Amino acid sequence: MSIGDFRSVIRSRFPCDRRSIRLPAILFLVGIVLFRLSVVHAQYPEKPITLVTPFAAGGSSDLNARVFTSFLSGYLGQTVLIKLVPGQAGQKGTLEAVRSAPDGYTLLFTDNYRDQLHKYTFRNDAYDTNRDLVPVARVNYGQIGIIVRTDGVYETWAQLEADARARPGEISMSHSGLWVALFVPMLQLMKDLDLSFRMVPYRGGGPAKAALLAGDADVSMAFPATVVADVEAGLIRVLATAGSERILEGVPSFAEIGLSPTTGYIHRVVMAPIGITEGRLRILREAFAQMQEEEAYRQMMTQLGENTEYLDGADYEALRIQQSNDYQELAQSLLDQ
Amino acid sequence: MIETLLAGLDAALRIDTFVWISGGLLLGMLMGSLPGFTTSMGMSLLVPISFLVGDPLIGIPFLIGVYKGGIYGGSIPAILISMPGTGASIATVLDGYELTKKGQARKALEMGLYASVISDLCSDIFTLVMIIPVAAIVLGFGPPEIASIMFLSLVIIAVTSTGSVIKGLLMLCLGVWFGFVGADPFSGMPRYTFGTNELYDGFHLIPMLIGLFALPEIFNAVKEGDISGSSVGRFVGERLRFDELKKSLRTIGRSTVIGTGIGLIPGLGQPIAAMMGYIAAKNASKHPENFGKGELDGVAGAEAANNAVNGPTMVPLLTLGIPGDAVTALLLGAFMMQGLRPGPALLETNGEIVFAILIAMVIANFLFLVLGYISIPLFARVVTIKRSLLIPVTIMLAFSGTYLARSNPFDIVTLLGFGLVGIAARSAKFDVAPMVMGFILGRELEYTFGQTLALAGTDWVHFALTERIGMTVVVLATPIVGALLGVRMSRFRQRALKGGQA
Repeated sequence: MSIGDFRSVIRSRFPCDRRSIRLPAILFLVGIVLFRLSVVHAQYPEKPITLVTPFAAGGSSDLNARVFTSFLSGYLGQTVLIKLVPGQAGQKGTLEAVRSAPDGYTLLFTDNYRDQLHKYTFRNDAYDTNRDLVPVARVNYGQIGIIVRTDGVYETWAQLEADARARPGEISMSHSGLWVALFVPMLQLMKDLDLSFRMVPYRGGGPAKAALLAGDADVSMAFPATVVADVEAGLIRVLATAGSERILEGVPSFAEIGLSPTTGYIHRVVMAPIGITEGRLRILREAFAQMQEEEAYRQMMTQLGENTEYLDGADYEALRIQQSNDYQELAQSLLDQ
Repeated sequence: MIETLLAGLDAALRIDTFVWISGGLLLGMLMGSLPGFTTSMGMSLLVPISFLVGDPLIGIPFLIGVYKGGIYGGSIPAILISMPGTGASIATVLDGYELTKKGQARKALEMGLYASVISDLCSDIFTLVMIIPVAAIVLGFGPPEIASIMFLSLVIIAVTSTGSVIKGLLMLCLGVWFGFVGADPFSGMPRYTFGTNELYDGFHLIPMLIGLFALPEIFNAVKEGDISGSSVGRFVGERLRFDELKKSLRTIGRSTVIGTGIGLIPGLGQPIAAMMGYIAAKNASKHPENFGKGELDGVAGAEAANNAVNGPTMVPLLTLGIPGDAVTALLLGAFMMQGLRPGPALLETNGEIVFAILIAMVIANFLFLVLGYISIPLFARVVTIKRSLLIPVTIMLAFSGTYLARSNPFDIVTLLGFGLVGIAARSAKFDVAPMVMGFILGRELEYTFGQTLALAGTDWVHFALTERIGMTVVVLATPIVGALLGVRMSRFRQRALKGGQA
């Protein structure tokens, strides 16, 4: 069958004149051109974003990530998937994020200890957080407090401090693991006030609190949100809280008891690998900023016991430098011992 | 108390709660049956659903459904393809897969289901009724007590291992040594890592389990030669008969008590419960020599014990707001996001919701029975797949499951290494179960022992004799228990030997 025959067959099957076909054809072509243009100038993000979290499932950081990613997806127009990469005290996940393409589709959820302290304590030269990561947003922060049992002997920080001076190394203090949220402020406390406690490790903040309640440990630290129920029930007393301002009535701040006002803060931060374009970084930062207006998000975080003290990535950068200096000093003083 | 309980009952009997629990159970079973996909990973993925629903009587029972389904789901690949997907199914694989090889996969799965449901139901009711009195005891178990129980468990496992005691001890020690690889938990100093970052966290349990249990089975099947046409069985197999279940009821009861007890002590967990339940069943059996060769009682003992842990782990969470593991930590988050703050006051302020959730846990068991009953014939169909198709799929599951567990390519190397260890151990007639238990317990024992030393300070004699009597008693009793069990088991072995000769 020749091509001419083929044409005649087609025409006999689909009878139409050329004019009637012209408009649909033009529309089709315009459609294709528009589609191509839209692909070229597609708004980032056009596929799901992966948030690497270097934490184990079930911890407070995991829960924080579950909450904010559920809302953030709505503002970015794409799902934000959580990829748990626990291990090596967070170094594994961090490395994975650092090594991924800086296209804005892989982000890292981390905190100030993993971001600024661990480079001094673990001496890992596979990456440098300051060189390789740029902050997108600080999601929130937590302020730690020193806690004791109400049926114990300490009613004020002054009593505890005096006893710790009288019996160095004998008062036991439960913490949630090496080089993380409770351990670091305890070290800073011991270093700055020249005290010595007997440090007993537990796997996480929950077991560390249980040890205090059971009487195994004399003192511990905790984020106020995790002990609100115990304070209300009259089981736990808070002796001091982080910062320079008092956050609980009648309870001194860390600044008042002689600690640096930066001690005892955990900042939960989302980072992007360096090299991400300005445009994409701006889209991400704006999505975080818009999410702060969402009532349901704030409420969910409040119920989880967290604040929503958002800080833009650019503003957080200044805090990072301060942290880095503090932690270097702390790590150095420990290594000198 | 009774009034709150009744109010809770009233609140829990809702059709939408039932539907969500069923959904959670099904999802949990599916996730649990995927090797490498742990229950805590599954729950963490589904936490947002639970809080976006916005009703604590839907969201939390849903997650509890995922939890229960996940623990049972792990036994499915353990029984069918000798691949324990989570630590909780270590003891199930020992007899479960042997039963599959005998063409009794369906029986094994059904025994697992009934044992899980019965023990879970009993432990949930125990939790519901005893939550307040028991809460006071839970705090009494600190690191010293846990360390002493771990020590006792290690000794029990060593003396009751299948085959020669010396071989069992060697494997146990090897397992303990594998547990030492990685950062020291107290100083963070790396040990036996040969300077690599990959070994900094030590070996991971999942590649070890899959390598030791599944790879040797695959190797054996391939070694047999022509596998193209055959399948393990042509039919899904017989159902479990009522008299078989009745015979195992004593075992289920015993394992329920063991599992409930272990669940009350924070930090011990399902793998230890399952192994202790299995060993107790073996020790009480009239035919201990059949264990490890396809004994229904073995499956019952292990599965009843690991599911009985589920209920009591809720006690410290609900009464003190203390999560003992990743699963309860996720539940704590789920509670808080619903505006409920677990702790001493929760029972007073929101008692009816707490009881409604506990009642939903009880109800979940009945739904679980129905769902399991319907789905087992489907799962059991695996045995009718041609081995030329099943084996490649099993290999794929082994590797993907290993990677899934923590997205670490190095774990594939570990998997292959443990596969070789498993094949070698099998051909030299060494039992790998003590090695896995040594690995799990050794690490925990080291950690809790270190904590104990830190707590005791310098005057440890005073500490052991006045403050921690419980620990001292358990430690002193351990050699006696070990010796008694050892003598008993060697008598069984001799009898089995004579029986074999006759």
